[in-house]
Amino acid sequence: MTSQGVVERASAELSKRINGLTLRAANKPSSSSSAGVSGTGTAGSSGTGSPSRTPRTGTSVMERVTNVLCGGGTGSVLGPSGSGGIQYPRFRGRMPIPRNRVAAYRIKRPVTWPELMRDEQFLNRFFTYFSAAERIPLTRVCVRWRDVLYRSPKFWYNVQPVIRCKQLRSYNYADKAAVFKSFVAREMTAVTIYGALDQDTVEFVNTYPFPNKNILSLCLQSSSVTDRGLESFLDHLQGIWRLELIGCNEITEAGLWACLTPRIISLTLSDCINVADDAVGAVAQMLPALNEFTLQAYHVTDAALGFFSSRQSSSLSVLRLQSCWELTNHGIVNIVHSLPNLTVLSLSGCSKITDDGIELIAENLPKLQILDLSWCPRVTDAALEYIACDLVGLEQLVLDRCIHITDIGIGYISTMICLQALFLRWCSQLRNFSIQHLCSMRHLRILSLAGCHLLTSSGLSSLIQMRHLEELELTNCVGASPELLEYLHEHLPSCLIVR
Amino acid sequence: MPLIKLQSSDGEVFQVDFDIAKASVTIKTMVEDLGLEDDDEEIVPLPNVNAGILKKVIQWATYHKDDPPPADDDEGREKRTDDISSWDADFLKVDQGTLFELILAANYLDIKGLLDVTCKTVANMIKGKTPEEIRKTFNIKNDFTAAEEDQVRKENEWCEEK
Repeated sequence: MTSQGVVERASAELSKRINGLTLRAANKPSSSSSAGVSGTGTAGSSGTGSPSRTPRTGTSVMERVTNVLCGGGTGSVLGPSGSGGIQYPRFRGRMPIPRNRVAAYRIKRPVTWPELMRDEQFLNRFFTYFSAAERIPLTRVCVRWRDVLYRSPKFWYNVQPVIRCKQLRSYNYADKAAVFKSFVAREMTAVTIYGALDQDTVEFVNTYPFPNKNILSLCLQSSSVTDRGLESFLDHLQGIWRLELIGCNEITEAGLWACLTPRIISLTLSDCINVADDAVGAVAQMLPALNEFTLQAYHVTDAALGFFSSRQSSSLSVLRLQSCWELTNHGIVNIVHSLPNLTVLSLSGCSKITDDGIELIAENLPKLQILDLSWCPRVTDAALEYIACDLVGLEQLVLDRCIHITDIGIGYISTMICLQALFLRWCSQLRNFSIQHLCSMRHLRILSLAGCHLLTSSGLSSLIQMRHLEELELTNCVGASPELLEYLHEHLPSCLIVR
Repeated sequence: MPLIKLQSSDGEVFQVDFDIAKASVTIKTMVEDLGLEDDDEEIVPLPNVNAGILKKVIQWATYHKDDPPPADDDEGREKRTDDISSWDADFLKVDQGTLFELILAANYLDIKGLLDVTCKTVANMIKGKTPEEIRKTFNIKNDFTAAEEDQVRKENEWCEEK
């Protein structure tokens, strides 16, 4: 294009803009500041304007445009070529850039504080600096904030409604329906219900908008729902794939046989007094696609772990057996035999498990990524040697309260190159020598040494070598003096230190 | 090294190394869009940033000029607010009005690092406050009707972090 063409195009563009500005200024004389040279982009969306704080309102739009064009006002806007009198800019020598293009350049961003406080793009960013719990009160600040928050399901991803039936009973139908509707609008599909009776579940499914479609995950907690109540409740929740029953003492094993459906791929049974071996039988039989199973039941025996069929052996990858006190190494034999594809295994509080059981796990569950052996007091350094030798892909290891573990065991673990998270809370025999081992674990991102009271300040100070550490827990560590914490913070600035 | 002239709302002109000024995506884009790279006479007016704030912004950008380019943050992810570097923390020990002007300028100029650290500071300021206290801090009008306010309270009193 010739330079003449450029000039023509620029001046056409310019007069278009000036016309637009005149029009806007004429229509909205009171909000001239937000329709300024650079703020036109936001003028439309910021309906309320900014009556309270507009220190830059001194000149009208036309005046400002004229100033910019012709070097009025502060003069320096145009630099050397700015001289008095009203005239269109002249292009001299090699000056392909019309001066006014800089001024006419539109930046679509809020200009005043009230505009910023209403700007969706800014608010969407600002709200990410809050945890889900911190964010919830922000919905009550003003209509705009509520709307911006409600519009983005990402802000509610980590939030779930926890409905307390005792309180719910005091709500009238319209209130309940409105609240439930807002859950659906925010795409919160996982619901926890506390203290329900059969009657509450009936009212719930009658009030909730399309519960079949809108509830995908249900946690029923501390509820006296009967077998029959649960069955009819779940009939109305055909969409759920995750079910958690916690502290539901009316539910019997017969009830589980009746209500479990093959859609469920994640199941938690915890603290339900009637759950024992036959419940595991129902799970094994009724849930062929089960992927995740969490069981906390004091009376489950080794035999129950033999119920899993070949169908589950390929699908079940997460198994948490928590405080199943009766389980022994025989149960472990059943697990490794029927569920060779586990990637996550927790035996937290299964206190009868010994090193032999861990050897079986290490040798037979090669896909394990997370292993939780907390509160397994019979586990010793020997078990850690098996783990270090065989579970090369392990990423997370929890050894909280394994009170017989010593520095020697930590020496074995320190050879595991994939390990990213290691929890050693209240492993009370660990001494500074352990830290020297740990320092060689360059990939470790999360480490807990909470309650390891033999570790001294000087021992802990070596941790600054662990450059990749993102989280370090030193709660109840005698050696974690204020000076030490300061020192660690200084040398590991990106590491969150929990004290 | 090329220089760029930035003019504050109150007329003061700052001559800044373009490598520093381009921390501002707004300025960088503008210079590229208008083809100003070779034109060191051009003055870029910033009609919303006064000299005091512009000076602070330039000070910040100069100190951080060798920082690696900010990572593309994935939008939904919750961000930490307790990892403000000690230099930034000192830099932001200013009165509330100045802090708000800085956040406004950082947003307007699209300086990600500065916006990040000012947002963190402001977020920390209002965490744990009641909606009324937040309104007061930010000078936001409560435009809920009484019924709406009651409604939004009910809609959220059962919401808990997973």
